[in-house]
Amino acid sequence: MSADGEESATPASRVPALIVTHADLAQALVRAAESVVGPFTDVTLLSNLSLSRDDLERAIEAHVQSWPNGGLLFTDFWGGSCHTCGASAARRHGEVAIVTGVNLPLLLDYLHNRDRFPVGELAERLQLKGRDSIRVQRGTPA
Amino acid sequence: MSWVLHRIDDRLIHGQVLVAWGQRLDPERIWVVDDGVAASPWERDLFREAAPGIDVQVLTVAEATTAHAAEAEAPGGAFLLVRDLVTARRLAEAVSGARDWNVGGLHYAPGKDKLNDYVYLNDADRSAARVLLGLGATLSVQDVPASRAVSLTSLDAEIIA
Repeated sequence: MSADGEESATPASRVPALIVTHADLAQALVRAAESVVGPFTDVTLLSNLSLSRDDLERAIEAHVQSWPNGGLLFTDFWGGSCHTCGASAARRHGEVAIVTGVNLPLLLDYLHNRDRFPVGELAERLQLKGRDSIRVQRGTPA
Repeated sequence: MSWVLHRIDDRLIHGQVLVAWGQRLDPERIWVVDDGVAASPWERDLFREAAPGIDVQVLTVAEATTAHAAEAEAPGGAFLLVRDLVTARRLAEAVSGARDWNVGGLHYAPGKDKLNDYVYLNDADRSAARVLLGLGATLSVQDVPASRAVSLTSLDAEIIA
C-alpha cells in the first residue's frame, strides 16, 4: 500500500522505497512516521507473513521492478527472509540498495532526504543515521 | 556434539532459525543442504553472509551425504536446513543420522493443503513423509521453540493412510 499523500507531484530524482518486515511492523512504522511528518507517498509496504521464500521473492520483485531508477529496500534484520529474499529479488533490477534494521529515525531521515541523494549515497547515509539513533541514557540514582 | 537441529523449512536461513532456534541452541555452524542454492554462486554467497558469527556452509545433498557423519563428531553445535520433505527424504535415505526432523515451515503454494498456518502439503510431500516415517524418522511440527511441538501425522491423517 502507499500512504495516501497530499503532497505535490513526485520529483524525478526521488528515491522510492519498499519496507519489508515481519508481521505488521512496516505498517506500524509508516503510521508512526506519519504521526511525525504527516502523510507521504512513494513508500510501499510488504509483510512476509505466511509467504514461502519463492513467493516473498516474487512479491518483492513485483514492487522493485516498477522502479525505473532503482530504490531502497528497508528490512527489519540482516539474515531474515525479508533481507535474503529482497537481495535475491533486487539483484535483477538496477540499483536497489537494501538497508536492514529499519527504525523510525532512519525512516524519518529517508523521508527528509529522498529527493536530495542518489540511491547509494542515501543508503550509506541512512545506515549511519539508523546506527546513530540508538543510544543509551543511563539513569542516575537519586 | 554437532547436530542439534535438522529442520525442514522453505525459507532456509531466516529469522526463526537465527533468532529463536539460534539463541536457544547456539549453533556454531549451519548447513544449508539444497542442490538449487548450491548451484548458484550468488545464492551461496548470500546465505554464507546471512548469519554473522555462524559458519554457514551450502552443500548439495550428495556433498552432505558424504560429510554428515564426520560433522556429527565435530565440536560445537550445528543446524542442518533443507527446504522440503523430498530433500529430507533423500538425505535420510542416504545417512543414518538424519532421522529426527523439525518441520518448521512449508508455506502455501497452489495445490497444497493447509495443515496449520505454516505447514501446507501436497501429494509429493506426503509421499516423502511416508518414506521418512518408514525409515523410522520423527517429523515434529514446531516453528519456534516457544510453540508446542506436534507430530506431522497428528495434523494430517492422509500421510498414514
